[in-house]
Amino acid sequence: MHHAPEMGRPGTVDREQTDGRAIVARDLARTFTSGPRRRRKHVDAVRGISFDVERGERLAFIGPNGAGKSTSIKMLTGILHPTAGSAEVLGLVPWRRRRELARRIGTLFGQRSQLWSELPPRSSFRMLGAIFGMTDDRTDRRIGELGDLLDAGDLFDEPMRSQSLGQRMRCELAACMLHEPELLFLDEPTIGLDLLGKQLFRELLLRLNTEIGTTIFLTSHDVTDIEHVANRAIVVNHGTIIYDASVAAMRRELLATKRVELGLETPVGQEAIEAVVGAGVTVSLLAPTHASLDVDTGVRAIKEVLDAVLTSLPVADLSVVDPPLDRVIGEIYQRPA
Amino acid sequence: MTGLVGLRRAATTSAESVVAAPAGLVVTGVFYLMVTSILAGLWSAAAAATGGEIVGYSAAALVWYIATSEASVITIPVRLIEDAGDDVGSGRVDVELLRPVSLLWLRVAREAGAVAPRIGVCAVIGVVFASLVAGPAPSGGALALTALALPLAALTNVVAQHAFAGASFWIRDAKGAWFLYQKLVFVLGGMLIPLEVLPGWLETVAKVLPFMAMAYVPARLASGHVEPELIALQAGWLVAISVGAAWVFAAGERRLIGSGS
Repeated sequence: MHHAPEMGRPGTVDREQTDGRAIVARDLARTFTSGPRRRRKHVDAVRGISFDVERGERLAFIGPNGAGKSTSIKMLTGILHPTAGSAEVLGLVPWRRRRELARRIGTLFGQRSQLWSELPPRSSFRMLGAIFGMTDDRTDRRIGELGDLLDAGDLFDEPMRSQSLGQRMRCELAACMLHEPELLFLDEPTIGLDLLGKQLFRELLLRLNTEIGTTIFLTSHDVTDIEHVANRAIVVNHGTIIYDASVAAMRRELLATKRVELGLETPVGQEAIEAVVGAGVTVSLLAPTHASLDVDTGVRAIKEVLDAVLTSLPVADLSVVDPPLDRVIGEIYQRPA
Repeated sequence: MTGLVGLRRAATTSAESVVAAPAGLVVTGVFYLMVTSILAGLWSAAAAATGGEIVGYSAAALVWYIATSEASVITIPVRLIEDAGDDVGSGRVDVELLRPVSLLWLRVAREAGAVAPRIGVCAVIGVVFASLVAGPAPSGGALALTALALPLAALTNVVAQHAFAGASFWIRDAKGAWFLYQKLVFVLGGMLIPLEVLPGWLETVAKVLPFMAMAYVPARLASGHVEPELIALQAGWLVAISVGAAWVFAAGERRLIGSGS
């Protein structure tokens, strides 16, 4: 068990490591304990993760449920003490200077609303502005700016309860941007939104990043959020970082495999297909006359596989597609730490 | 200073939110009138049966007492303690922890703001009801003191509920704490009965407990007793309970941030 004295110690990162960086985390760890003393259980939710986030970066912090994402966000926002390791967010140790940090970050946790449902968002914004120490003039000016930036000015005077979920989320985004945070923590921000709502929300995040330079730290289970918003992805599982690369690199990894969808005129057994396509190809027989071939292009050229298939099998239909990004992420999740 | 401005705005925004949903205010007003009518009827009958007076309170004074004691308590959200437990358990409290102000005082400001319009509605209904049923207030001066004591009573109650709600940082299900608290206010706070009606030893105990500041003080004043020292006592309890609540919340926050659960 980690005792309080140890919990009070984690903290400062070397000064030279934080220069120009929004987040610096070093060996950050969190162990939870539960149960009666004799049968106390220890769960390592986060096991010593280290990473940096540059200012202006758009980071997707992803992983399956229970991977340690929320625990990491809680530590980085200062509402949870780590059991070991250190971190600085915007140059501050989050759990030591939580309120000071709160003035400089914005947070949007799923659908946990920070706006009053009975009131138009403008009233809630004015209250939030006062809480963040903004003058009324500054708050009003900021509400105007956010209304233009998020195309939401007309929503700010409608009671929240009469707005759609998509409209409410735009107002929530405005609320967390009100005090001009340098860094936004977004935990599943598009959950529950319809396709158009998600698309609009992603565009707004990109606009905040490109026009204002707000650093974005995003968690989402929606692969499209990652593809469209993030320029870098960190994948965590079992409390450790198992992948850290640009989304472009992740795409390249994705392109190392191709999928061939194969329609056959007559049924062919899986073993017969495997014999034809050879090594580097994973065959999935989806129906007696429908197979899916995943080709590792690092092992076999796609042209070779297509030639073999067209020559030796009764092909009725054939298409070559990129496997979806969620499959690649799924494969990353399976990797050992 | 910035924090105070923010808390004041939280309170006024919360009050606006209650006013924006007038149906809730109507329900509070109707419920208050219903309960006050029943209890005022019972106490009037009891006074009539005992020579027109009970422990120094006339029938009219008892009506004013009940109208005030009910207004001071009915206006407080009944599930405030439970809600605090739910917020801690569900993680909703995280959003509030990410504000640059005190979690306790932000919650208190919000709840106090929500109580203000309800108190206004119940005070108007109460004055009209008591005037019609029992005649004018027994003492104009005492009624003026009541105008000060009533919001002070509600604020003391809200802060005290938060002190109890602090238990939710350790035990997620705070229903037990709420049940106990509610009964203490009902009886030892003087909401249902003037404290002088209690057996001698219990009256003595009740008068040294903070619950008397939440209902008995404004009700005692409204029933015609010009006792300004009661307001000083009430203010003292408010300060003491505030210190207690701040200590409980500080410890609770440390626990939540330290243990994460």
